[in-house]
Amino acid sequence: MAKNHVPDWLNNSLWSSRSPPPQQSLTPAKTSIDSEDMNRSTNSAVKSSVSAESSVKLPVPMPPPAVIRAEPRPVRPPSPKVEIIGPLNSSSSNCRSDGENGSSASNTTTSGISSTEDISRQAQLSQELSRKIINLGEVRRLASQGIPDGPRIRAIVWKLLLGYLPTEKALWPTELAKKRPQYKQFKEELLMNPSEIARRMEKFASLENDGTGTDIEGKGVLSRSKVTQEEHPLSLGKSSIWNQFFQDTEIIEQIDRDVKRTHPDLHFFSGDTPSAKSNQDALRIILIVFAKLNPGIRYVQGMNEILAPLFYVFRNDPNEEDPAMAEADTFFCFVELLSGFRDNFCQQLDNSVVGIRSTITRLSQLLKEHDEELWRHLEVTTNVNPQFYAFRWITLLLTQEFNFPDSLLIWDTLLSDPEGPQETLLRICCAMLIIVRRRLLAGDFTSNLKLLQNYPSSNISHLLYVANKLRVKSAG
Amino acid sequence: MVLVLALGDLHIPHRAADLPAKFKSMLVPGKIQHVICTGNLCIKEVHDYLKTLCPDLHITRGEYDEETRYPETKTLTIGQFKLGLCHGHQVIPWGDLDSLAMLQRQLDVDILVTGHTHQFTAYKHEAGVVINPGSATGAYSSITYDVNPSFVLMDIDALRVVVYVYELIDGEVKVDKIDFKKTTTQSAN
Repeated sequence: MAKNHVPDWLNNSLWSSRSPPPQQSLTPAKTSIDSEDMNRSTNSAVKSSVSAESSVKLPVPMPPPAVIRAEPRPVRPPSPKVEIIGPLNSSSSNCRSDGENGSSASNTTTSGISSTEDISRQAQLSQELSRKIINLGEVRRLASQGIPDGPRIRAIVWKLLLGYLPTEKALWPTELAKKRPQYKQFKEELLMNPSEIARRMEKFASLENDGTGTDIEGKGVLSRSKVTQEEHPLSLGKSSIWNQFFQDTEIIEQIDRDVKRTHPDLHFFSGDTPSAKSNQDALRIILIVFAKLNPGIRYVQGMNEILAPLFYVFRNDPNEEDPAMAEADTFFCFVELLSGFRDNFCQQLDNSVVGIRSTITRLSQLLKEHDEELWRHLEVTTNVNPQFYAFRWITLLLTQEFNFPDSLLIWDTLLSDPEGPQETLLRICCAMLIIVRRRLLAGDFTSNLKLLQNYPSSNISHLLYVANKLRVKSAG
Repeated sequence: MVLVLALGDLHIPHRAADLPAKFKSMLVPGKIQHVICTGNLCIKEVHDYLKTLCPDLHITRGEYDEETRYPETKTLTIGQFKLGLCHGHQVIPWGDLDSLAMLQRQLDVDILVTGHTHQFTAYKHEAGVVINPGSATGAYSSITYDVNPSFVLMDIDALRVVVYVYELIDGEVKVDKIDFKKTTTQSAN
């Protein structure tokens, strides 16, 4: 039966019983989990779900798992979806092209089997998206189970979810025509260096002045003109464009460094190919424009990580004609996404009610609600301050904890949840903790911290399922 | 947009102790890409200080420099412009435009930067521009005691140079600027 390839967590506490005290509310859910468990264990040898630490499992032929999949499970996908490399996912394997080479190596942990449910979900989504007026709630519901890898689906769904595209399809061209040139204008204005600015100001000031100082014939002393308002390069005045330029240079250097370090394992971003360079350039420019438009928050390390998945998805949209358009779209969606999470990046707000510290406290509370034994063990017994691990989880929206395709899946759920990304994020973090609870309970400070800071790769759909379950419980 | 600082004739420590404080507060590292110095620093400490402003430093030898290995003249290309550097005591009459024009033709440069007279001047003639940044410390010269501290910052941007002149007059820093465009026919000569 289930002798090999079944990690014991699959058979154990999470599935059968949580630790006794707060779990009365779990019983209704528990029974369904149990039945699931039965199904799983009988087919576990066949099914290629991933254990926490095991390495690559070969994808298994389709027919047996289809048996499980026939049971309708409206809320959760029963198996890890084939994300980017899907040798058996016939419908979507052709769509992903360039970015895969680098990610494929790291992607094998979520190798899975395509399912009839996936295909049906894709069909449903496509149908939904082809309507004239899109029902956002329906899209959200479908997307929260994970967006299958169909052509341009993810890009459009994300744009809809982030409010970049309106729900009425007829308005899309006008919206795009409005926003894309706006971005282009931002770029032009904000990326000029001070010499050019000075030149333009001069042109306005003296239109008739085309002879003095510029003609070469004849000799004589060159005419001097006064410099007004401290507009010289060494000026230390606050309003001087030169001074601002030099101050911005530091931020630009920081952005440059971070962009070069983004996702070094993906060929899309790193490497010497001209496309990788242009992708990096696009990231850089978006971040620079954002920093200049938002003097309050500027650029904080980590924003590049949040930007990367957005740009990847929009740039790989096979219907998109122009890389510049992808850049503009990414910029606006980035602004939208960050607007919910700005407070995490603002240092002054760290200790306030909306700041990162209080968010981490809320996570802690959530964990305490759902799994008090684990909470007590983590925070009281082993003294693992949640700031040590949760900070990165929350500020970077889990992009650093999972490999790239997994994090795209998680973002599907994050963006589509009607409760809002912040709440969903906390639930997913809580689920992450609960899933590895056995190891955490058995570990001390060092091993727990090590585990949480290098979160083991795991079955994403399982994770999202648990996260969803947490919502149901806390509502009850 | 390349910023080039041109200065010289500091005569530290013989005739002046240091740059004026107001100049020093403006000259911070990180803004300037090149420094060209006409000479007469005179000691190594000044060389080191200029090196902290910018690693790309070019110096020619003035008659009082203690470092003997600086060259007499130097040429460099920045952007579309060729710059020439010389202290100027070798060119007689000192500060005479025609003689300096000869030197400019010899070096085949668009902008010639010389010093020695401790007076700021900027001349143009058919081949290009001759700039004298004056003395950055206001040290007295062989010709006169009445010297205002001054230096020059050039902003080279493709075919256009904006020359910013910084002078310390009556304790206040005054900045002027001069515009100069290179016409493409120049390069044919």
